[in-house]
Amino acid sequence: MDREAAIVLRHVTKSYRRDQIQIPVLSDLSLSVEEGEFLALMGPSGSGKTTLLNLIAGLDRPTGGEILVQDNDLARMSDGQITKWRSNHVGFIFQTYNLIPVLRAQENVELPLLLTSLSRKERRERARTALRVVGLEGREDHFPRQLSGGQEQRVAIARAIVTDPYLLVADEPTGDLDRVSAEEILLLLEQLNHEFEKTIVMVTHDPQAAKRATRLLHLDKGKLVADVAQGRDVRTAVQPENAS
Amino acid sequence: MAFVPLKYNFRNLSVRWPTTLLTVMVSAIVVACSCVLFGLVDGLMYSQAVSGDPLTLLVMRKGADNETSSNFSIQTAQDLATLKGIAQGRARTAEEAQKGFPDLQDKPLISGELLNIPVMSRSDGSRVNLTIRGATSASPYLRPKFEIVEGRYFNPGTRECIVSRSLVSRFPGTRLGQQFRVSDKEVYNVVGIFTAGSSAAESEVWTGREDLAANTNNDRSVSSTRIRAEDNRSLEALIDSITNESRFGLLPKRESVYYQSQNTTALFLTVIGTVIAVLLTIGALFAAANTMFAAVKSRTREIGTMRALGFSRTAILMSFLLESVVITAVGGALGALVSLLFSNWSFGISDFSSFSERVIQLRFGVLPFAVALGMTLAMGVFGGLFPAIRAVRLDVVKALREL
Repeated sequence: MDREAAIVLRHVTKSYRRDQIQIPVLSDLSLSVEEGEFLALMGPSGSGKTTLLNLIAGLDRPTGGEILVQDNDLARMSDGQITKWRSNHVGFIFQTYNLIPVLRAQENVELPLLLTSLSRKERRERARTALRVVGLEGREDHFPRQLSGGQEQRVAIARAIVTDPYLLVADEPTGDLDRVSAEEILLLLEQLNHEFEKTIVMVTHDPQAAKRATRLLHLDKGKLVADVAQGRDVRTAVQPENAS
Repeated sequence: MAFVPLKYNFRNLSVRWPTTLLTVMVSAIVVACSCVLFGLVDGLMYSQAVSGDPLTLLVMRKGADNETSSNFSIQTAQDLATLKGIAQGRARTAEEAQKGFPDLQDKPLISGELLNIPVMSRSDGSRVNLTIRGATSASPYLRPKFEIVEGRYFNPGTRECIVSRSLVSRFPGTRLGQQFRVSDKEVYNVVGIFTAGSSAAESEVWTGREDLAANTNNDRSVSSTRIRAEDNRSLEALIDSITNESRFGLLPKRESVYYQSQNTTALFLTVIGTVIAVLLTIGALFAAANTMFAAVKSRTREIGTMRALGFSRTAILMSFLLESVVITAVGGALGALVSLLFSNWSFGISDFSSFSERVIQLRFGVLPFAVALGMTLAMGVFGGLFPAIRAVRLDVVKALREL
């Protein structure tokens, strides 16, 4: 059964201006991601994978083209609208965890819930549940500095899922971790994808990590050069109109 | 709208405690200095306010701006006593009688007084004009809360004097039992120390008018006359009588109006105080801004993370502004508390109206604390505003990449 397209990019371009020079990062990129897909973005440094991730997550705006996430046209949203949209629909996982050092694990996880109308008690319960899901029960009162890198990333994942977002974006989530911790994090992401049916878009340099995804995209010089699903090369130039 | 939790700010302040503490100290010093300065202005304004009784007239020569430049004959002063509507003195209390207060029961409350403003050396060696008042038996009853706190009231004609408590130790020979030497010819025995409800009299030395007249070879005139009216109607009538009687050549002023007009020094101090407070505030504002810029710089990635999670620009702005205001508010409160340690201090300043020594007790009423509050808010808000604006203008993607 065909699933609905969760994310649609049509002819997206992105360029940055540095001094007087226009630097193209993405050029005429079209893509469709289905609901519940675990997408890995790979490519050499400067290929535009993090830029693509930021565009999908609503952190950055395209220079041209259209980005639809659940039928929301991100390019047309105001700053306030897109900020609110992010808080409701996107969970973020960063390479360096980006936890707030002065807040305890539980408080870090509760942070996105402050943007909801939940009561203090409900927020606490939800944060505890999220920490339980990532296997950090009993670590609620620890500050980030009192946790290992793997544990910090688990707290970050708990923070990303606590609002039950539609989309999880992960930028090199295992980049700062040792092999064992990285494996645990990847297992967790797989679990979130399989059991909780979260749509995940992950940027990685690590081929082992990329293997855990259900679909692998290769970017080079701002262009999509390969799109591989379950180890099978499906197509090299994706047209969303045809893909859906 | 959701705000960044307060514990984020408070814990960051405690983590960065050395810079937080330094900024708090700067704010505290600045607020304490300004509070003391405006405590002086408040004290001066209070002194002028309590010095003027609404039913008392101060009669001076026409054209004279103040008591020191006024002069008219004793005969005229005695003629004033014959006017109708002058209040009668009260019976002295047993304690007052014990302290040698003159008995003024059923006598008119009118006092023709003589002033001498010699240049005197302070205890620290500096020289200044000092007001010596030739007082009468009615004089203490025409001052607010006049009290002899040590010794007794002077006996007229015996070269005795009483000294305001504020002046004791500021000038040599002003302690009880000592000899107060104005010149070789003019020497008084200090027999009492007085207070007068922080009024202008607290900057004076009092002796009998006859004694001062003999010592200054001026036994035919007075500087001014104070008259207490029975009521408001009598006051109006007295003003009319004195003003319209051309042979007097005098101008009666309500005492309260007179002291309000002697506000040159208070005005000068207010202007100077305001300028100093503004300059200090600007200095401290930079300290607060510097601290907050450092805070924004070191927490750029945290700001980016919070923006990514969905906190609005306004929430971030308020968070950093609040942090700045908390730092300066703690400093401001500390400074205001420190300034209270000076509440018993008094300063001798030169009054610009009479060009004589004026002793002002610091007073911490509404004015100094309003100044402290204003400075605190200015330091916090303006010191925090630009760093906070910088925080909200950060590009989220770039901020997330900050190390």
